[in-house]
Amino acid sequence: MPYSELIKNFERIRDYMRQFYVYGFKSRNDYDAKSARSYDNERRRIESWLGEYMEFRQDNDGKRVFLSVDSRSAAENPLYKAFKAKSFTNNDIAFHFYILDTLADGEKCTVADLMERFTDYFDSLDEPFVLDESTVRKKLKEYTKLGLLKTQKYGRELLYSLPEKTDIQPLENAAAFFSEDSPLGVIGSFILDKFDEKPDIFRFKHHYILHALDSDILCDILIARQEKRNVEIEQNEMYFTLYPVKIYISTQTGRHYLLGYDHRHKRLGFFRLDTIVSVKILESEPDYEEYEALYSDFASKLWGVSNFGREKTEHVEMTIHIADNEGYIIDRLNREKRNGKVEKIGDNTYKFTADVFDSIEMLPWIRTFTGRIIELKSDNEQLVQRFYSDVDEMIKMYGGDADAV
Amino acid sequence: MLFNEIYSSYYSAVAAIISRAVEGELTDKDIYDIVREKAFSESVVAIPEALKNGDWPFMLHDNSTVINNTPEMPLSTLEKRWLKAIMNDKRIRLFAQPVEDSDDIEPLYDADDFVYFDRYTNGDPYEDENYIVNFRVVLSAIKQKRKLRIDFNTQHGESRTWVLIPEKLEYSSKDDKFRLIAWLNDSWFAINMARITGAELLEYYGDVTPPEREKKELELALVDQRNSLERVMLHFSHFEKETKKLDDTHYNIKLCYMAEDENELLIRVLSFGPALKVLAPFDFVKKIRERLEKQRNI
Repeated sequence: MPYSELIKNFERIRDYMRQFYVYGFKSRNDYDAKSARSYDNERRRIESWLGEYMEFRQDNDGKRVFLSVDSRSAAENPLYKAFKAKSFTNNDIAFHFYILDTLADGEKCTVADLMERFTDYFDSLDEPFVLDESTVRKKLKEYTKLGLLKTQKYGRELLYSLPEKTDIQPLENAAAFFSEDSPLGVIGSFILDKFDEKPDIFRFKHHYILHALDSDILCDILIARQEKRNVEIEQNEMYFTLYPVKIYISTQTGRHYLLGYDHRHKRLGFFRLDTIVSVKILESEPDYEEYEALYSDFASKLWGVSNFGREKTEHVEMTIHIADNEGYIIDRLNREKRNGKVEKIGDNTYKFTADVFDSIEMLPWIRTFTGRIIELKSDNEQLVQRFYSDVDEMIKMYGGDADAV
Repeated sequence: MLFNEIYSSYYSAVAAIISRAVEGELTDKDIYDIVREKAFSESVVAIPEALKNGDWPFMLHDNSTVINNTPEMPLSTLEKRWLKAIMNDKRIRLFAQPVEDSDDIEPLYDADDFVYFDRYTNGDPYEDENYIVNFRVVLSAIKQKRKLRIDFNTQHGESRTWVLIPEKLEYSSKDDKFRLIAWLNDSWFAINMARITGAELLEYYGDVTPPEREKKELELALVDQRNSLERVMLHFSHFEKETKKLDDTHYNIKLCYMAEDENELLIRVLSFGPALKVLAPFDFVKKIRERLEKQRNI
């Protein structure tokens, strides 16, 4: 097959884009030697789609290729472009524009009518072209399923027509915002492509864009969830049958997780969306209410997305000093405490307490109060030990003496 | 489901080319310009060629078309379901009145399917009528390139009235807040929408091009322990950055950040503990050391 910038399958490019965007320090030799040609093709494709964000660095071990995107300055998520690069056949594109044109005036046509109308196109062309009836029938079925055509019975035949137009003009600002903010914003981006000029009003801070590459996976999970169906997911060459309960999203790392009831292990568990390779939508789940009922109690004991199958919680207490002019620290505690509690225990002293499945998950957040922590206590000794030993290590790392910078 | 050629840039480009041909004034240059705008950098070879040689059977040799109408693809079911889902979002009234439609379309998702577990809880009051009115005025000012008079409360509770040039509305999912990014007297300002108590549209301001917002560079040394490489790279992935591998466990990262975000960035670096060390700038290093010193002496 000659090289094309379009792709049939998304999975391989998904991994390359992730590598180029997140890491960006690998050279061609760091990828699997057997796939060197594949590397060249995928790199060339990504460069064709995202050239303005592609950067190169040459060092002793070879050329490094990476994607460098300041997502705060970008008007739209550039990774969506990958979803607009699906390959197609000449018949696919011919059918697409012929059917839209034939039915544009509101006509309803049988297959025979359509074949006749299509023949008019063929007769007008400078070069010969033919769409056979079986291809047309297959495409009609596909377009009906996609919602681009509607059908009506006419005796033993079906009449095909276009659905009523939706006026999307009043929604352009909403589409512009949610195409970036919605977890399935790529669909909003498809809608925005229909506008002659896209509104350029919004920018996004702390804008994680990588999840866009998992849109197909998320879309299937959400469809299953709406229909109360189970899914089979493939992750790390293993298969899990789950009932999807929630999608957990981290606004501070951009990671997305599926929280599902795992039928084999008979418990709720988290699965990172970017590690899921495929999703199969299965049968309806008759006991879905039972699994969803488990959620509320489970959620009340989570700090993030870790429970390690534990039943018991770990208690954490953090006492911090807040100076008179540091009211914003109290605001921070209150807005960031999640399931924890905050109480004032002295003139300038506040105590945060929480009971969670996995207290180690709290460590990064606790560290953000470095300089103010009077006391850290937990029935998980490892948490306390790690916090204080990390502080000691950092003091050494930075030279041990503030005056010696 | 999502990955389908009907949404492709090639189809968009071909639709635009056919539209121009239907209007009767298509040149070869138009074809190249449309392809450059709608598709990818290498498409300027593939698309015109397939149209010219008849592989895609729409065009005649004189650049006229056998297609009679401007191509208009209806919304797919997936697109309708997505629109229905955003209609249920609590922020929809900032942009549009929710549409009551009679279609038997199920939303693609419900808002409570998602849990933003580390989002701050003091987000903007999206259902407050005054907030909605001010938001829409600001949005109109940006779209129409008009100056804006705003009344707002500072973080110290003082009332202010400013006339400024609005640039963008910036949303943070972590903060769940909108900020108005505006330009006034040679300086950039980011004003929380929730602090704006009144907004009025003023005159068109023309073609003003404010300078870029000030950026600084942060240089970090990373030690890959307990999966910190992946955690750090994902956490800072939204910045423009460059990473160098020094050996199997050591990396050097340079990232660009806006000067106004330094305090926030400082605590984000601290959250990684000893896995991450700031190498530059000097002031940043000094602030980290002060925090550590304070913790040692508390």
